[in-house]
Parts: sequence; structure tokens; C-alpha cells
Amino acid sequence: MEEVDKIVIHSLNVIGCDLDEDIQSLRQFSTELIVSSAIRCLKVINNEVDLPNSLPSGMSARFRTGTSLASIIQELGYKGEIGYQTFLYSNETEIRKVFMFLIDKLPKDKVETEEEPLGASALLQRTISASVARYLDSPWVPPYLKSKNITWRGKPPVWQKEGALSACKYHSLPCKFSHGMGDLTKKISKEVRSYYSESLPYITNQTIHHCDTAPSVMEDLASELTAQQEWENEWNTIGLPSRLSEQEYRARKRQRIQKRLKDNLRSDVQRSGDLTSSKSAMDLQQMIDAMGNRSSGSAKTKGSRFIHTEQLIYGKDEEKTLSQIQKPDIDKGHTEEELQKEREEDIENIKTEYNNLISKIDNLELESKKLTASMKQMEDQMSTLLQQNQDKEESYKVKKRTLDLLPDAENNITKIQSVVDSSAQRLVTLANQWEKHRAPLIEQYRELKDLNSKKESEAEKKLEEIKAFRSKMKEVADDARQKEELQKQLIAEYERMTKDVNRSAYTKRIMEIVSNIKKQKDGINQVLVDTRSVQKEINMLSGKLDRTFTVTDELIFRDAKKDESVKKAYRNLAALHENFEQLIQTVTQTGTIMREIRELEDQIEHESKSKVLTNLEKITSDYQQMKKENSTMATKFKQQKS
Amino acid sequence: MLLMFEDHHKEHLSFLTDTDIDVVKEFCRISMDFIRKGANPKVYLGAAQKLKVEPETVQHGVEGLMYLLTESSKLMLNEIDFQDSILTLGFSEEMRQTLLQLYLQNRKEIRTILSEMSMDLPHYHNLEWRFDVQLGSRSLRRQTTPTVLFKLHTEESGLRETTVLQTDPVNLVHMTKVLDEALQEIKSSYCRRILRNIK
Amino acid sequence: MELCQSVLDGVALAGEATHIPDVCFQHFITKTIEGVLDKSSRNTIKDDKVFNKLDKSILKEAYSGVLSLLLEAAKFDAETATLSAILEECKFTQDRIDILLQLYQEKKLFIQILLGNIGTSPPHIVDVDWRLDYYIKSNQLEKVNEPVYLISLKTEVPGKTDLEEVQFSCSLEQLQFLLAGDLEQCLLTSFESIGA
Repeated sequence: MEEVDKIVIHSLNVIGCDLDEDIQSLRQFSTELIVSSAIRCLKVINNEVDLPNSLPSGMSARFRTGTSLASIIQELGYKGEIGYQTFLYSNETEIRKVFMFLIDKLPKDKVETEEEPLGASALLQRTISASVARYLDSPWVPPYLKSKNITWRGKPPVWQKEGALSACKYHSLPCKFSHGMGDLTKKISKEVRSYYSESLPYITNQTIHHCDTAPSVMEDLASELTAQQEWENEWNTIGLPSRLSEQEYRARKRQRIQKRLKDNLRSDVQRSGDLTSSKSAMDLQQMIDAMGNRSSGSAKTKGSRFIHTEQLIYGKDEEKTLSQIQKPDIDKGHTEEELQKEREEDIENIKTEYNNLISKIDNLELESKKLTASMKQMEDQMSTLLQQNQDKEESYKVKKRTLDLLPDAENNITKIQSVVDSSAQRLVTLANQWEKHRAPLIEQYRELKDLNSKKESEAEKKLEEIKAFRSKMKEVADDARQKEELQKQLIAEYERMTKDVNRSAYTKRIMEIVSNIKKQKDGINQVLVDTRSVQKEINMLSGKLDRTFTVTDELIFRDAKKDESVKKAYRNLAALHENFEQLIQTVTQTGTIMREIRELEDQIEHESKSKVLTNLEKITSDYQQMKKENSTMATKFKQQKS
Repeated sequence: MLLMFEDHHKEHLSFLTDTDIDVVKEFCRISMDFIRKGANPKVYLGAAQKLKVEPETVQHGVEGLMYLLTESSKLMLNEIDFQDSILTLGFSEEMRQTLLQLYLQNRKEIRTILSEMSMDLPHYHNLEWRFDVQLGSRSLRRQTTPTVLFKLHTEESGLRETTVLQTDPVNLVHMTKVLDEALQEIKSSYCRRILRNIK
Repeated sequence: MELCQSVLDGVALAGEATHIPDVCFQHFITKTIEGVLDKSSRNTIKDDKVFNKLDKSILKEAYSGVLSLLLEAAKFDAETATLSAILEECKFTQDRIDILLQLYQEKKLFIQILLGNIGTSPPHIVDVDWRLDYYIKSNQLEKVNEPVYLISLKTEVPGKTDLEEVQFSCSLEQLQFLLAGDLEQCLLTSFESIGA
């Protein structure tokens, strides 16, 4: 029973009943405590129960509370006997039954969710409600008393934002870090080193506004991180299979990009050139001229105002503006119209001049093109002629040699023959020699080739392996991260669980109880077997008795017919048998009476447990109180009536 | 309280005393239109031709009626006061009744129009709200900051304006408390005494 | 939480006793945190005599590395275990790890305040003033006789040091509606969210 009481008390504590620590069993529960905890349970089971949280002081109100409690519990499906007396005039066993029923009815889902690890969303929900609760519980503080819209609440103190005074935008600026000071393999030039140590400001002092420091640092980190990841990704997918070293790969990539840039630019330039070839040429020319003229222009302002005949449009324009600036000083007397006319004339002149020049340039361009074309032709001709010349010189030399040899023909022929022979011989030996050298070389070459291909395939295999390893690495890292997350979650969960200290103790105790029950069951079975065997023995003995009796009865009866004294003995036997029967009966009767006595004793104990006397006293006193209340009510009523 | 008429006002209205009751009714309609939508000289011309009088006379009549209506509405004259006021103008009994009916029917509308003309402050029109929980930002992940977003619609002389505001539960509780105090204030005995005395 | 190589290099420099001696390690970390938290001490490390004899370029790299590490850790609300794993990888001794973790835990909330304040928000209501007027008459209208509330919401606007005001007037009915219909509903929502 103690175990049950402990479980009941613990569950009551969990749902929020305020029980003293020294209450160990249900026997110690006072009437008030019983009622309030029963109401508490009901409220947890069904939120809409409308009952006062504690026992009211008036007797009739108490009675009402008790009755409604009982009826609600009956509605919940309680099978046992229950009424107001169960609560007001309590009896330990009944109360225990009621509480066990109620605790059984307590909503279980709460307990179940605690058992399995909470999902992330539930955790989030919990933190959200915790923080909202913290906000709602905190007292309001006027803005001028808060330091930078932050207040510290809770235990351990946590800050919360209650304003936007010190909020600032996420504004990041590029930061300058010193790099690679610890890496001895990297060469850092003296200038950079001295810049780092002398002039580079500390990272917290680089931005104009101090509040931009944190965003800038974080942004810098993030951008470097993404660059690093991007590179890794590229290196894994494209870089590694290309079988280049990192530097080579980078260099090649740079080249590729530069080439593409160049191509793009060139094609764009060409396209625009096709569209407005003349105009762009003009623009270009103008610009070039402008470059050319800039230096001479400055000289002009200083000195001569004379215009060269070859001077081009730009120069003209400049000259014109110059003359316009100077004109008002000179021709103050002239009217507007004259000026206008002059200007128009000027424009006309310039235009014609311009047209002339354009046509001239065109002509000149054409001519130069023609000239370059003819020049190329000439060059071609020249080279062919030169070739011919060389050929002819060659043939001339051979012919001259043969002509020299002609006079001593016979001799020379044999000489030549021998020379030819020897040279043929030499050729053969050389060929032999070559063959000799060639065979091992070819062999070697083949071997090397084989080796090379083997190596290549090996390298490929290794590459594959590396790739596999890399992906595996990533997988493992991801896995580890996930597991870490899970572990964190579980740890948090565990920390929350440990508040429930008694849990493991309870399970242990439950197990003990179960084993105890098993033992008891075994014992009961043993006893049952024993009784059965005893019964059997009894039956056997009674049968034996019966049989022996009938046998002796018969024997003596037969003798009794003959002998008178035996008749007496027979009568005695009958009497003996009867007496013994009676004895047995009495024994069984005493047995039943003993059992009855024991039962009655049990009942007495039971009744004494239910505190009949005290309850009776209580009931009488309550009855008195109720009477009094009624009488006061009646008098009040009468007073009001009168 | 009685309405005091100036002489030329009386003169303007005197034209109506000699006409039919239907004409007065028509004039009343025109003057109500005037109050609602502004002057309409064409109507004056038409009426003048029908009645064979100068358009100016018609105009004066309408304006006089209009002035009478607005003034009495402005002062919120009760029935008796209104009747007593127009007694001096020399209208017949029937006409007075017509005018009274007109006044009583339109007083509320005229007062609304007048109230729209009076000085206006930006006043409350609507409030939309939303309860948010900030879960993270670019610079701080894993936070749970409850915020309340408000969209306050105010109106000033017909112009709507919206302001987006934000607050947190602490300040929301405070705000509700303070505004509730403000509401309770009007029910205090001090305020009620003053209201009673002014009425 | 991920860190790039340059930050890890900087952190590793801070962990080496040859570059930053044990004596001034704690002071160095404190200075780093102060540098970002407190505007007035953003550059005090420069003139700090404790670091006089150290190579400034190395000091700077370590400084930025540790700062980035701490900011990132606070941003993700990193556990001490995660942080100590990173530090171990950077070859910190256990003593240094303990010092750094202790300072991190002390200052984490302050760094998070700094980070939490970065970002925009609409004007934030922090207080409310009201005035009750009894509107008797105006030049256009007499005997109006109705109560008018003038309400002024005090707001904090990001980037401004003074409180701004949003003013509007409303009638008794409007105020009742505003209170019962909106504000109290809103409060109710927040209370419900706790229960959920």
C-alpha cells in the first residue's frame, strides 16, 4: 500500500497540488487536502469542471461540493460506491481507490510526449512560449530608464529588446586583414610586412562608424567562406579530373577567361564597326587627332594664331571657338545679323573643306590599299624568282662537276663505281648496325608504353578513389553534424527529464512489486496444491474408514447372531461409530466457526480502519453545525419577511 | 435662445412671405441642395423666369433660407426656439410649419456637413495588427523575439494616411493599461459632473 | 558554424605562446571583445603597453581572427563544446581554451545584444500619452459636447536618439473599439501562444 500511496502523492505533486513533504501516505490526508486534490485532478482531466479550489467553510456548501464531486467522478466511470461521505468522512481504502481511479484517468498524452525525443518544431514552440511568457511577465520600464532599449529579465538574466533606439542597419564595408603571418612558407614582401605592422588599422578601427564593425567582419568572413566553397566544388568536379596542379589549373582558367573576354570584346567591336563603320572611324580619328593636337593646342594659345592647311576638323573647331571668344573684343561694332552671316559662311566653308578632305582621305586610302596589294604581289614574285635561282645554281654545280670529270672518263667511272660500291656496303653495315640498335630500343619503348598505360590506369583508379573518399568525407561530416545536433537535442531533453528524479526509482519499485506478486502467486499455488493433497488424504482416509467399518460391521454382525456377548460389542461398535462421526462433525464445525471468527476479525479491523467513531463524532458535530446554520438562516428569513 | 436676424437678411426673406407655399417648398429644396453641393446659378435663372422676378431676388431668397437653416443648426435650436425665431419674419402659420419640418428633417445632415468643415486633426480610422515572433536575423540566428506589428490608418480632412508601427508585449501591456485608464477617466465622477454641468 | 581558412589561421596565431605569451592571453581576449562591444575602446589595443613588444602584424591577424570567431560563435549561439573543438583544432592548450570559453560565456549575451540590434525595424512604440478633451463648440458648430481623446504614441526610431511621436485623435467609441477590438485581442493572442 505504501508504494501505491507514494505513486499517488507523486502524481498529485506533478499536477500541481501543494502537498507537504512529510506526507507519506494517504492516511495523513486531511479532509480539506483530499477534496482540494480531488478537485485538482478533475480540473486536469476536464478543464470545464466548475468547483471551488478548496473546501468552503460553510457546512451546507461543503456538503454540496462533496456531492457534486462524487457525481462528477461517477460520470467519469467510477464503479465503486461513492458519495459526499467518501470525501467528507473519509476512509483510507475508499480514498485510495478513488485516487487511483482519478490518477488513472489523468490525461496521458503529456506523459507520452515526454518519453519520446521532442521534434525540433515542438522545441521551437516551447522556446517561443517561454520567451513570450517572459515578456508578458516583465514590468514596463519607461524608455529613459532602459539602457539602449535592452532590459534584463529572468534567472539567469536574459536580455530582451523593448525598443528600437540603438538599432542600426546591416551596413558592411570591406575590411583589410593581415594575412599569412604565421605561415613561414609564404613569402611576404618587406613593404607589405611593414604596412601590416605600421599602418594597417586594427579591425575594430577600420570602419567610420563603430557599429559597422561587426557586420563588416561577418560579411568578410561569409564572402571568403563562399569563395572557398565554390572553389572546392569546382576543384572537385572539374579541377581534379583535369589532372593539373592547382596553380596550373588556376593559370589555365585565367587564360581561358582572358581569351573569352578578348574574343567577346573583339566581336563586339567588329559588330559595332559593321554598323557604323564610317562614323566610328571618324570618332576614332577625331580622338586620335585630339590626342595629337592637345600638345600643339596648348602651344597655340600661347603663340601663333595661324592655321596650318593640313589642320583637321578638331583643330578647326578649336580655332573657331578661340576666334569666337576673341571676336567680341574685336568686332564690337558688328550687328548680330552680320555675325550670323559670317558664322554661316564659316560653317559653309568648313563643310566644303571637310567634304574635300573626306574625299581626299578616301582616295588616299584606296590608293594605299592598291599599293599594298601590288607590293604583296611583287614580294611573291620575288620569292619565286629567288627559288628558281637557287635551283638553277644547284643544277649548275652538279653539271660543272660532271663536266670536270669527263676528260678521264674510264678511270673516273671505275672510281665512282668503287665509291658507289663502298658506300653501298657501308649503307648495308649501317643498316645492320641500326637494326641491332633498334631492336632493344623498340623493346624498351614498348615496355615503357605498357608501363605508362598501367600507371595511367592506376592514376585514374586513384582519382576515382580520391573522389569517393571526398564524398565519403563529406557524408561523414554531415552525419557527424546531424548526430551532434541530435545529441544536443537529446541532452536538452535529458536535462529536462532529470527533474523527474523519482522516475527510475518508480520503475525499479514497480518491477520489485511485480516480482513480489509473482512470488506470492507461487506461494498461493503451493498452498492450493497442499490443500488439495490434504483433501485427497482426507477423502482416502474417510473411504478407508467406511470400508473398515462395513467390514467390521459385517463380521461382528455375523458373530452377533451366534453370540450374545458379541451383540453387545456390535452395539458398542455402532455407538462408537456414531460418536466418532459426531466428533468429526464437531471438528469440521469448529473449523468453519474458526473461519467465521477470522472473517469477523477481519471485518472488525476493516471497520475500525474506517474511523467509524471519529467519523460519527464528526458527523454529529457537522449535523449540529448544519442545524445551527439552518436555524440562523430561518431567523434571517423571518427577519426579512417581517 | 433666439436667432437674431439682421435687417437685410429679413429683407431677403421677405420675398418668400408673399409667395405660395409650394414655392417656399421648392426654395427649401434648392437651399438644401446649396448646402449639400454648392450654388447653382442656372436654377436661380429658371426659377426667376417662372416667378417673373429678378434672378437676384431668387438668389437672395435661397441664400437667406440657407443661412437660416445653417445658423439654427449650428446653434442646435430646439423646436420652440426655432418657431419663435422665425415668428418675426412674417411667415404664415402653414409656412412656419413647413420650415420647421424642413429644419427638423435636415438638422442632422447639416450638422454633419458643418462638422466636416470645422478644424480637423488626424483622427483614428482603423488599426490592423499582427503578432510575430522574430526567429532569426542576418546577424543573429536562433532568437525568439516576440513583436507586434501595427498598421495605423488615420484620416485628416478626408485624406487617409497609414503608419506602420511595431511594439513588444511589454509595451503592449503597458499601452493597453494606459488607454484603459483613459477610458475609465471619462466615467469618473469628476468628468461626469463636468459633463452634466455643461449640458 | 563554418569558418574560413584565414580566420582559422588568425585564431591559430592567437593560440601560439611564441606569438602571444600566456601572460597576456587573457588580456588580449578581453581587449578583443571590448574592441567590438565598446565604441570608446575600439582602438585601445593599439596603445596598450602589454602588447608593446609583440609583432604588431601578427597581433593584428590574431586580433581579427579571434574577433571573427567570437562574432560568428555568438551569431549562431554556439555551444562551448563546438567552440572548444574548433580551438583544439587550432592547437590551443587546455588553459587557453578555458580562458577563452569563460570570457565567451561571460560576454556572449552582450555580443548578442550588439548583433540583435543590427537590422531595421519600423518605429517601435515604447510609451503612450493621452489627453481627454471635451469638445464644446467650434467656429462652425456649437453644442457639440462630446469627449475627444488625443493620443500620442511615443516611438523609438532606429538611428535617432530622441523619441518621435505619432499623434491622432479619436472619439470615445473609437477608443473603446481600439482597446477592446484590437489591443486586447492582440494581447489575448500572445497569451494564447504561451498556452499552446
